[in-house]
Amino acid sequence: MALPGTLLLLLIVVTALLIGVLVLRPGVTATQGGKILGFFVLFLLPLICAGMGTTYHIDRSKRTEFCLSCHEMEPYGKSLLVDDPAHLAAAHFQNHRVPADEACYTCHTNYAMFGGFRAKMHGLKHVYVHYLGTPPAPEAIRLYDPFNNRECLHCHLGARSFEEGAVHTADPDLLPAAKANKISCLSSGCHETVHQVADLNKVKFWKGTPDAQRTTP
Amino acid sequence: MLSAQPLERRLQLAGSLLILGLLIEALCVVWTRPIAFVVFAGFGGILLAAGILVYLYSLVSARVAPSKKK
Repeated sequence: MALPGTLLLLLIVVTALLIGVLVLRPGVTATQGGKILGFFVLFLLPLICAGMGTTYHIDRSKRTEFCLSCHEMEPYGKSLLVDDPAHLAAAHFQNHRVPADEACYTCHTNYAMFGGFRAKMHGLKHVYVHYLGTPPAPEAIRLYDPFNNRECLHCHLGARSFEEGAVHTADPDLLPAAKANKISCLSSGCHETVHQVADLNKVKFWKGTPDAQRTTP
Repeated sequence: MLSAQPLERRLQLAGSLLILGLLIEALCVVWTRPIAFVVFAGFGGILLAAGILVYLYSLVSARVAPSKKK
């Protein structure tokens, strides 16, 4: 377990032990010092534990291992190791164009206002479908909304390779249209090969660094 | 053992709810499945909130001894 998890666990245990003392000896709250202790132990510390716990879970839900821990997502994890630079997701993951530890979240979150909240709501829907619904086959999984160029431009906008790339500048109308989301980066004949999980049996895989192997199935 | 004093009994109830909530929170930190957050927020969060509310209620409902008039 990572350090934040261990520290949170330690705080929870200490808080529970202090509460246990008050439950067994509630009489100590009769004194002024006891009242202050009661306020800390029965109000402040549980609030801090709840806040830290929420932050911990939200941070953990951004991690690549977390997304790939459901078996429906395993092929998507494997697609990150395809040995072909034309595969967009694999090229981004293997070359650390996205943080390897948060590869899924970096591309699939929403960089608009309340985007992180919307991404979490989608995540809760995934959990519901996984446990109480009928999950579709991995190759039948579709995005809720068409992929918005905004998510690509969050990193690429202003980058020299993006703004001055030969293919991007060949047609002067291309970049303005892509920036206005009028044409999609992914489905306009440009970067169409993304995960392609239905074709994983036809491709070669990169063995990967130990770090890449740790984050993918 | 439950105290005979109503205030202390409420504090014990609040403490018990909080311990249960913290126990669930601790389990969810160790449990790495995606449903852990749902259990953390759904069960642990409700127990923690209930414990804190019972504690606050015990404070506002505590009877204070009337002050002596001069």
